Amino acid sequence: MPEVILTMKGIDKSFPGVHALDHVDFEVRKGEVHALMGENGAGKSTLMKVLTGIYTKDSGTITYEGREVTFANPREAQQAGIVIVHQELNMMGHLTVAQNIFIGREPKKGIRIDDNAMNVEATKLFKQLGIEIDPKTTMSELTVAKQQMCEIAKAISHDAKVIIFDEPTAALTDTEIEQLFVIIRDLRAKGYGIVYISHRMDEIKKITDRVSVMRDGQYIGTLITEDCTKEDIINMMVGRVIYEDPKTQSQCPPDAPVVLKVEHLNAGKMVQDVSFELKKGEILGFAGLVGAGRTETCRALFGADPKQGGDIYIEGKKVEIHSPKDAVEHGLSYLSEDRKRYGIVLKKSITENSTLATLKEYTKGLFIDRPKEEKVTQRYVDELRTKTPGIDQLVMNLSGGNQQKVVIAKWLVNDAKIMIFDEPTRGIDVGAKQEIYELMGRLVKEGKSIIMISSEMTEILRMSDRILVMCEGKKTGELDIAEATQENIMNLATRDIDMREGDK
Amino acid sequence: MKEALNKFKSLKLVRMMGFNRVVLIGVIILMYILFTILSPILHQGTNFAQVSRLLSALNYGYFIGFLALGVTFVIATGNIDFSIGPVMFCSALISGYCMKQYAFPLWLCLIMCVLIGAVFGTVGGAFVAYLHLPSFITSMALMQVAKGLGSVFTKTQTVSWPQGDAPNTWFRNFVRYKGIPTGLIFLIVVAIICAIVLNHTRAGRYIICLGANKEAVRLSGVDTRRWEMLAFIICGALAGFAAIFYVGAYTTVQPGMGDTFNNEAIAACVMGGTSMAGGLASILGTVIGAFIVALMQEGILAMGFSISYQYALTGLIVLGAVIADTLSRRRSN
Repeated sequence: MPEVILTMKGIDKSFPGVHALDHVDFEVRKGEVHALMGENGAGKSTLMKVLTGIYTKDSGTITYEGREVTFANPREAQQAGIVIVHQELNMMGHLTVAQNIFIGREPKKGIRIDDNAMNVEATKLFKQLGIEIDPKTTMSELTVAKQQMCEIAKAISHDAKVIIFDEPTAALTDTEIEQLFVIIRDLRAKGYGIVYISHRMDEIKKITDRVSVMRDGQYIGTLITEDCTKEDIINMMVGRVIYEDPKTQSQCPPDAPVVLKVEHLNAGKMVQDVSFELKKGEILGFAGLVGAGRTETCRALFGADPKQGGDIYIEGKKVEIHSPKDAVEHGLSYLSEDRKRYGIVLKKSITENSTLATLKEYTKGLFIDRPKEEKVTQRYVDELRTKTPGIDQLVMNLSGGNQQKVVIAKWLVNDAKIMIFDEPTRGIDVGAKQEIYELMGRLVKEGKSIIMISSEMTEILRMSDRILVMCEGKKTGELDIAEATQENIMNLATRDIDMREGDK
Repeated sequence: MKEALNKFKSLKLVRMMGFNRVVLIGVIILMYILFTILSPILHQGTNFAQVSRLLSALNYGYFIGFLALGVTFVIATGNIDFSIGPVMFCSALISGYCMKQYAFPLWLCLIMCVLIGAVFGTVGGAFVAYLHLPSFITSMALMQVAKGLGSVFTKTQTVSWPQGDAPNTWFRNFVRYKGIPTGLIFLIVVAIICAIVLNHTRAGRYIICLGANKEAVRLSGVDTRRWEMLAFIICGALAGFAAIFYVGAYTTVQPGMGDTFNNEAIAACVMGGTSMAGGLASILGTVIGAFIVALMQEGILAMGFSISYQYALTGLIVLGAVIADTLSRRRSN
């Protein structure tokens, strides 16, 4: 067994309202590729951010090369030899490859930067990695894969001992992935400790030696990759324990009329030929991993982003939706995952936010009918049990759950028939979550129809009558709640990736 | 001390006007006292405390006030307009020239002032709202267009509107009628209309909300482009109004000028509590701010300094107001 280079023990981290890391353990050996897996929000990124000094831990210890360490910022971590190769590359496109690699520590000749020395150094690095890139090329001319290799070269030039890859293959083609794997195997052979974060099950099987799984901020366990199956890992990721009772059968009558039909919706790379139906009184869950194209699908449907094609039928009639204005006029509403940016006007009052989508109806002659506006706002504050000292309160002073209720109120005032909830309980505490669930249940009973995008498996299973699963911009399946399990949803959510691997 | 301050802040009148506005009124009074004491000392016994000085300051305050009211709408949307001063001059030049050269009737010329301003506002607003150009650059460009157009149209001649005993001087009654500062009445009436539009109509609600969070308003099914453009149209039309009150007070307009008034109007607006980040606007504050600018101009002249001091001071006021605005926002985050 090679020696352990990095040990994290009992790492604990809380954010207001969220216990992000609950006494997590993790270790990396020299010359191994250690996969870190878990659903979205399981705490993988947070753990790596604690390691590299972006976040400070509440408690726990990090032992690196036999010494206990705490890094105050990513720079300190980098100097000690722990670097992250990010999912989004942090490169400056207009600089050359060499200039990017040596940024902030350029070799100098007098007061001038010695570009020649820099290029020579960079060439050496690339040779070491067995890649061919001209250090004088401008970064933006390289493919994403090549840019990533530059990032790896940069990491090595920092005398790194532990390299963390955060979803490195997300933007790569199959051949590029192969090349990357060659490099990673080479680094492993040279004794680097490598942490590999990915959702792609087959990559994990291909490249890693061990797999550690996290769930809900907790460390679940570590497996030797060779000895386990994909199912073992999925089981650990989703867990056997289900905290809230899932729905066992659809509560939407089978003969309910179709209120929304979407056919062959296309919008950029993230929405490819998506078709589905939504019935009156139904909650249609949109499951998938982050970046599967669910939000993009709904935004295109709502007219928030341009679409390249697709037909939308509302109550059987074909409609044209080119802007959110058109969508709202057809009874659609969209509750964004990012409330603060897309849902509410923080600096304004509950009243002003509640009637934002329907102000026309609260205008008498030229003027806004304040009493009428206040009456309806008060009604929904009462009905949704929004906790606030008064309806004049600025929304920025409310908690996340109550802000969400203001957004819901806005669409209820509008009497929207089809409501798209995008991650309705993100950033909301447990009690308020329950209330939002109950509210959604009440809404569909009143005849509204809901599309619910959620990355929380328990939420999907608890709320949905039917589940649509997406992966990489495509719809990969549709399940009735009666047949849905965490496992088969997860399978569909990663299916496209598997199929791609299988093509070869 | 702190308690007394809090008590003062909770007075009904103070709450109604906003603490910032009450402070500004205090500033006006202080400035007045300061100028009265300093001008005889600094400038060979000049008496500042005369009615003529006040009336002169008011004259300056009217057109700055109209400009500032207009730009309040634009700033409320989170944009900026650096073209209002030259636009004001451009409309005064073109319509004044038409009156002299082509004998346009006076009433038509006055309407033309407002229309030319509105056209500039519409063009600028369309670029910003529909083509998503940054308002900073757009309005800078339109400022040059306004300056150039005014010069070209008048063949770079100074334009004089009717004055003294000439016929057709009734428009000067807008500014002063038999010694009564009628301009003040007009400014207050327009300010009240502005306040009503901003606080009690759909247009105003959308303008302020889109200034605070445009994407959220758009996703609520509102065509934000329309309302964003409207703010620029209001701003341009009010610059046209400002032109009427400028020629009413001073009668002569020189081509190629007017950009110094941009800063003064923006200073008035930001001082009054309108946030440069958008989403927050105070009409009362803007009006008080305009009179601070006007009084300052009068005071600086009375103390014997050149008008260049005014430019420097206005620049500093804009900076100071923006710093105060930014700090208060950072604190509330």
